[in-house]
Parts: sequence; structure tokens; C-alpha cells
Amino acid sequence: MADLDVKPDGRGDGGRGRWNNNSRKRRFRDDDDTDRRPTRRRYEEPTAVKLRKMLLSIAESPMRLPEDEAKDIARMLAENFEDEEVKAEFFDLFVRLIIEQPFKIPFTAAVILYSNESKPEVTKEALRRTSERAQELLNEGRWREFKLLLRFFACLQDLFKGDGVFSFLHKLFDSAVDLQSANENDVVGLELVKIILLTLPYALVKSDTALQEQATEILQKTGIVASMRLPIESLVEAYTGHTEEKPVLYHSVIGLLQTQLQNEAAGGWELACLPRFSRPVPREADGEDAMVPAPETHAFPDIMIPSPVNPGPKPLFPEAFFSLYADQDVETVPKTSTIAASLLRDAIVDTINILDFNRTATAKFLIDLDCYWQPDTFVKRATPFDKLRDVAGDKSTWKPEDMAVDAVFSQIFLLPNPEHKLVYYHSVITESCKIAPAAIAPSLGRAIRFLFRNLDVMDLELVYRFLDWFSHHLSNFEFRWKWTEWLDDIDRSNMHPKKAFIIGALDKEIRLSFAKRIRATLPEKYHPLISEGKDKDTPDFKYADDNTPYASEGRQLCSQIRKKAAEEEIQETINTIHTKAAEAKVSDVLVASTDAYMTCICFIGSKSLSHVLSCIERSKERLLAIGPQSEAARRQIVSSVVDYWRDQPGIAVNIVDKLLNYTILSPMCVVQWALSDHLGAGEALSESWIFEMVAGTVGKVTNRVRQIVAARLQRGLPEEQVAMLDETLMKERDAMRALFKFIDDSVKAVSDGISDIFIKKVRSGELSDEDAALIKAWGRRWQTVFIRKAQVEEAVVGEEAVESKVRVLNAEPMIEANDIAEAANGEDEIL
Amino acid sequence: MAPTTRNTVDRLDKPSSYAASKNRRRKYNRDADDGDRGREKTPDFEDKLREATTLYVGNLSFYTTEEQIHELFAKCGEIKRLVMGLDRYQKTPCGFCFVEYYTHQDALDCMKYIGGTKLDERIIRTDLDEGFTEGRQYGRGKSGGQVRDEYRDEYDPGRGGYGRAIGADLGDDRDYR
Repeated sequence: MADLDVKPDGRGDGGRGRWNNNSRKRRFRDDDDTDRRPTRRRYEEPTAVKLRKMLLSIAESPMRLPEDEAKDIARMLAENFEDEEVKAEFFDLFVRLIIEQPFKIPFTAAVILYSNESKPEVTKEALRRTSERAQELLNEGRWREFKLLLRFFACLQDLFKGDGVFSFLHKLFDSAVDLQSANENDVVGLELVKIILLTLPYALVKSDTALQEQATEILQKTGIVASMRLPIESLVEAYTGHTEEKPVLYHSVIGLLQTQLQNEAAGGWELACLPRFSRPVPREADGEDAMVPAPETHAFPDIMIPSPVNPGPKPLFPEAFFSLYADQDVETVPKTSTIAASLLRDAIVDTINILDFNRTATAKFLIDLDCYWQPDTFVKRATPFDKLRDVAGDKSTWKPEDMAVDAVFSQIFLLPNPEHKLVYYHSVITESCKIAPAAIAPSLGRAIRFLFRNLDVMDLELVYRFLDWFSHHLSNFEFRWKWTEWLDDIDRSNMHPKKAFIIGALDKEIRLSFAKRIRATLPEKYHPLISEGKDKDTPDFKYADDNTPYASEGRQLCSQIRKKAAEEEIQETINTIHTKAAEAKVSDVLVASTDAYMTCICFIGSKSLSHVLSCIERSKERLLAIGPQSEAARRQIVSSVVDYWRDQPGIAVNIVDKLLNYTILSPMCVVQWALSDHLGAGEALSESWIFEMVAGTVGKVTNRVRQIVAARLQRGLPEEQVAMLDETLMKERDAMRALFKFIDDSVKAVSDGISDIFIKKVRSGELSDEDAALIKAWGRRWQTVFIRKAQVEEAVVGEEAVESKVRVLNAEPMIEANDIAEAANGEDEIL
Repeated sequence: MAPTTRNTVDRLDKPSSYAASKNRRRKYNRDADDGDRGREKTPDFEDKLREATTLYVGNLSFYTTEEQIHELFAKCGEIKRLVMGLDRYQKTPCGFCFVEYYTHQDALDCMKYIGGTKLDERIIRTDLDEGFTEGRQYGRGKSGGQVRDEYRDEYDPGRGGYGRAIGADLGDDRDYR
């Protein structure tokens, strides 16, 4: 500390910070000389602002050495440490930066490393602030943020007395074991072990052998937990089918981590990708002063692991490692056997998921990825793929763009659900493409090719996510894609997953644009896939054709609805249809009249969604009355909508969705229509809009049940309300299960090839052997998706899940009090 | 100065400076008028936006349909209502709309993930809105469309070519509303 008093004079022309200041001032004066505007009063930035800017931008510029930046900040902080306002603001930001910008953690830690040399009080304050926050996060079960603060501590390992972070990791492991032994499907314990494993490397960057032994000891303990395969784990695999068909073998994130760390341990903990900093040596000590005291060390902060551990606000599931580029001929991303694969991926994914409130900032981080790791971890940005083979000797061929794209897709393809809405990840890719098209676009192209190549074995829900992204992405870039690459796939049967994908993608593109525009972006061979009907704004009204049964009644009904005739008049027309239908021996006459009525509504409302909605609104009494009279007639409503909009199924899906909201249709009715009336021999399962319709309907039902559960889990409900909610929950949950059961029965029959129509079509030769096999495969893929959805819901709203949450709710009046106290501190609205 | 709860990078789900300045003007009028009465009548602007479920969407092509808008905006959540902006006289789309979601979170997500991306090959603009009221679907420009389409001197084929007042009446005063 005596050093400090001398310093400001002692380094007059040496320090970087000082030089920077001078140059800035000089530049200012130059500007003033040439500027004819009235000069403004010179404005010196307050120290707090200056420090804020310096800390925020640390390591961002490849032109500056992060180590120097850290030293500059440390120096300025030490000089102003007595200013309470500066101190308070600095550490507010400091804690936030760790939690919001994970890439910068090693660098923020370096600031403390260098501060500690001259002013150990800075370290004390940093540890106090970060450990307080860490404790809160741990109490709340906010695992990601907690992990990041723990990482910060790991980076400071040198400054701790004794074992430092290691003793805490041991304690954390004990908690994980408790959780694991209590429940074989426990995922919170897994999360803790994952955190431990991801923390280790950061603590070992400059380690001595003693610490390495500690690490080995921890690894021995975590081995069993990490290598276990949970019963629910099969639900999160991206690729279905037999092992030999899979493009990438399944790895759980945690199992992979364990192996990678063991490999790293065997290699002597090289940890080559993590940024390094020179040990803080007082600048004046040029050999002459050998008596420099060792830096002051500190006790590891006291962080209590609550018992029982709070599982946190989000339901957790085991995590699969997903990569588009890993373990291929050219190593554009780290091999899955190396720890770099997990360290980089973890930091990138966290960055993406934390910064969802500013996708441009996210994209910038992705593009500047290489700034935050040890130099030479990556090949130069935007190096073309085919130039990688020329990279000399043992130099890295990892492409930062591939790392970034890989990480975004790992989130798009995360099962059961991504953290944010999928469209966020779309927007991150779009933004990255805008910032660095030459770097990102080729990587994206290779990603698309890889995905397309493996469509056949990919989980169906993920295929649908791919489809949705692909069409949305193209809509942001003039619909440019090398469609010629897939020309051969057009010759395939419509049942083939690749052909089905192309058909679905074109339909989605058209929905965001219009048929003529999309046709213009395609080679001619694709044009038959876009029917002429798609060009029509108003599809034909079938009753305009006299060959249609009930044509004149249909037309009459149409004009009556259009001019808002009295309900009695409409009923008369409907009665005429009923009479005629009865004469024609139609078993359910209501089906015939419903077809006419709904088709009229579609035709009258064809101008736009609001037109059809207002027409439905006007006719809703009559429509609502149909269902209770006849289920067949209710399903006819769906048939009529889909038939009218057969060339633009997106609109049909939309209208059906609105009819569900009006409860004119029931979820079961929609699903029965799709997987029974419309199923055929199973061909319908290849249509992406059918998947959209069924998944959307199921989503509505599961959302509702989740909302009931959320309502039930409010604190302090009166008893009668609890009873009511419990009853509603039971009823709705049963309905949900019935829906899942129906879907499972239907698609299983397809997958087993036992439906009557299927058998008939195969016997008659109407279905080729190839198509028959493809249809069975569609059945299997559908089944996998909906079994997963059903099990996920059970994990969230099943009796066991709800009961355990209710128990937690009833047992925790204490924690509620804590929550209120925290909210008063103004820390509640973080993130 | 209270930067404590500020994020380390800006948030994209804040109302725009336009919405804020509109509020400032309103507040100014209100204060000049009668502070107390005004405050009781209209809940604070920021309070309204704190629960906003509606977005104003701008820079659409006149040819963009409800279905296209629906297709894109439904990616952020179920849409409760979609109101197309219309030319006051011709009752044809004039390049903006209101999208209403069921939840505030969906509206915020839409600001973050969709505002500034393309629909029908145009970069669209989204802004949190205090909620649609009848009458707001019509353009406020002199000739019935949006004000910005009166005086535009660049050719924009998606929005009726040049500004309507350009060429027709170059001596016209600026619209200061």
C-alpha cells in the first residue's frame, strides 16, 4: 500500500492510462482549432462514468491487450476507491457484467487480480458483493447465474487461502448426491454436477500439482453421476432410429463433460483455450527489489448451500449435446472429446440466452467471439472452409463462425423446449448474417446441407423447427437459396421426408410472401409444387358449380349470410338441405348443411382473416350449436375449412385455431379430424401443416393445464378456490391425457401398419412398398414426438409433480418473507 | 444517477423515442391545462405501457396482407387482434397496423425479436402501444394515408411511389401535427 502513494508521480510517462488521456486531450484541442462552431465548455467525464465505460468494453477490441485494460481499470479503481459513489457504482456494474456477459468473466477477474496487488480492499469488496449475489441466486435456484459467479471465483483461485473454490465444490457435490439418492430422475443434482465440472477448468488455468490432485479427486466422485443415463433421457435425443443411422452419436452434456475433463487431466490440464494473464508483479520491481511481498490472500466467501436445494423457477431436463460440425473430416469446431468443445459452447450458449433483450449485441458477441479466448484458439475470421486444409501444421482450424452457428442451432434444436421463443434464435442468426455476411453465410449453408442430409432420422419436432427457421430466414434475405442442389429430391415420392420438407418449406415461404414471388426464386422444375390455386386470393366457391350437391341452396345460404338475413330464413334454407339429404339417404343430414354453412362463411370471409372472423362472430350461435348435436357435423366444420383453403393450408390452420378459441371446435375434434378423417393410409402424417395443426391444438390444451397449475400454486388461496382449482385441474388433465392417448393410438396404428385403409391400399398396390415403409416411419416419428410431449407435461403438471410443488408451497412461509425483503432492495427485476 | 438496475447492454423492448415524445407533448398540455384533473383521468403513460399488449407496426408495404402479418407475428405468441391501418378515404391498407397479443410478455418479445426484421422484404418497425382505440386505424395524412407518405421524396413502390404532396403541390406547408 505504501507503493500506492508514490505511484501517481512515479510513472509519469510510463502508464498506458495516462498516455491515453493525453492523447485524447490533444485530439480534442485539434478538433477545437479547426471547428468554427462555438466551443463547448470542456467536459471532463466523471470517474464513475469513465470506469463504467472501461469495464464495459474490456476485451472487446482486438487492438488493445485485455491485460493492459484490466491493469488500467485496477489502477483507476484503486486511486478512487475512497469515493463511495464510485465504488458503489463500479461494483453494481461489476456483478451485473459477470451475470450478463459471461465471455468477460476471466477479464473481470483479472481486474481484481491486478487490484489485489496494490489494494487488497478492492478484492474484499468484490468478494463481498459477488458472494452476496451468489447466495441469493443459489437460494432462488437460478443456476446459470450462480454458475457464472462461481466461475468468477474460480478465476480468482490464486487469491484464496487454502483450497479456495475446491472446498466449496466438494460441498456442492455432497448436495448433488443427496438429491440424486432421493430421486432416480432428479435433474437438479445433475445441474449441480454440471456446474461443478464447468467450474473446474477455470480454477486450474495456472494450477500447481496440488490443485490438480484436488481436481482428480472431484472427477472421481462425479464420474458415477455423470455417466448415469436417466430414464427420461431418451426424450431429448435429436436423432431417432437405430444407432448406425444416426449422423451424430448421442451424448449427454454432462457425460461429455466428464470424459473431456478426464482427457484433459490425462494431458496435464493444458486448457489451451482459456485466456491467461501474467502474474501481477509490481512494475518498479526490476529485479533489484527481491523482497516484494506475496499478494495478500483471502478466505473463500462463506456461501451456504440451502437444504433442501431450491430447484428453481424453470423445469429442468437432461441436456443433449448437439452439433452440426463436430467430429467431421475437417475440424472446424473442437472435437467432442476435448474440453474446449464444452467450455466454448457453454459460454456462447449462455451469452445467447442471457442477452435475448438485445439480439444485435448477441450477434456482435458471436462475431467477435475470438476476442475472448486465448489468442490462436481459432483460425482467422471468415477463413473459407476449403482453405482450412492449407492451415499450417498444428495450428487451429476452428472457425469462430462455425462455433457461433453451432451454438445457436443447439438452442433451436434443444429438446424438449428452447429457453426462449424460437424466433429469437432466428433473429440472432439474421443479425449475425447482417453484421458479417461473408463469414456467417457459408457456415449457415453448410449447416442447412447437414440438416437436410439427415432429415430422415431427425426428430420430427426438430424437422418442423428447421422448416420454420429456414423459411423465415430466407424471407429476410430475398428468398435466396441454391435450390438447384435439391433438384433430384423433387423426383421422390411426396412421402419422402426430404420431399415433404421441400413442400412444407415452400408453403411456409409463400405464407410470408406470395406464390408468384416464391415461384420466381425457384428453378422451373419446382414450379409444379406450387399449384395455381395458390395464386387465387379468393378460392372458388364450390356451390357456384351446379354439379355440386345442394348447389342452389349453398348459393342461397351464401347470399343470406352475406346480407345478414334473419336466422329463420337461414334455417329454412338449411331445412331444405336436410330434406334433400334425407332423400339422398345421407345418414347425418347435419353434416351436409354444416358443409354448406361453413363453406359459405369461408367464402364470404375470404378477403382476410378479420373478414372471416367477423363472419364467424356473427354466426357463432349457430356454429356453437352444431357440436352438441353431432360430432360428425362438428368435424365437418374442419373439413369444410380445410377443403375451401386446400391450396393455402396455412389459412385453414389459422381459422381452425380461432374456431377452437370460440369453442366451436374442441381439441379432440380437431385431432380426430386430422388423425382419423383426414389420415387416409397415413399419408397425412407427412404434411407439415397437419403436424402444425395437431401440435398447435395440443399446445393449447397443455398451456391451459399449466395455467391452472400456476393458479393453484399461488400463495394464500381460500380453501374453496383451492378445491375448485383442484377439481378443474383433474378434469382438464384427464382430457389432456385422453387427447394424448388418442394421438398415440392413431399414429401407433400407422407405424404398425395395421389400419384398414393402409392394408387395403398396400394390397391393391395403390401404395408402393417404398411409400408403405415411409408411412410407417412417419407413424414412428409422430409417436416419438407426442410420447415426449405427454411425458414432459406429466413432469410438470402430473399428480406427483403438482403435489410436490404444493408441499414446497405449504412448507415455505420463511422464504416468502425473504423474497419480500429482497424486492425491497430493488434487486428483484434483474434480467 | 441510478445505473444500478441498468442492463450492461441496451434493451430493445423499450418504447421508442417517438412514443416517449408523444407522451411528453401530452403531459405538457395536461400540465398547462389542469394538472390534477388530467392525472386522475388518464393513467400515466408509462403505467399503460408497463402492461401493454399492443404494438404499432410501421413501414409495411401497402400490399402486405393480414395473413402475412399474422404468419410472422404469431411466432411471438397467439394474436388476439390485428387491426390494419387504412387510408382514411379509400379504406385500403396504408402501411401500418396494430397487433394485439394476449400477454405483455409476448408484446415485449415481439419488440425484441421481430421489430427491425423483414416482412414482405421490408424492414418493419414495432413500437409498444397503449392500446388500439376506434379511429386510430386511419391515416392522419392530408390525403388519407400516413403523414410520412405525403412528403417522401424517394420512390417507394411498396408505399405508392413518391409522396403524394410531392409534385402535386410543392409549395405546401409542412404538416406539424
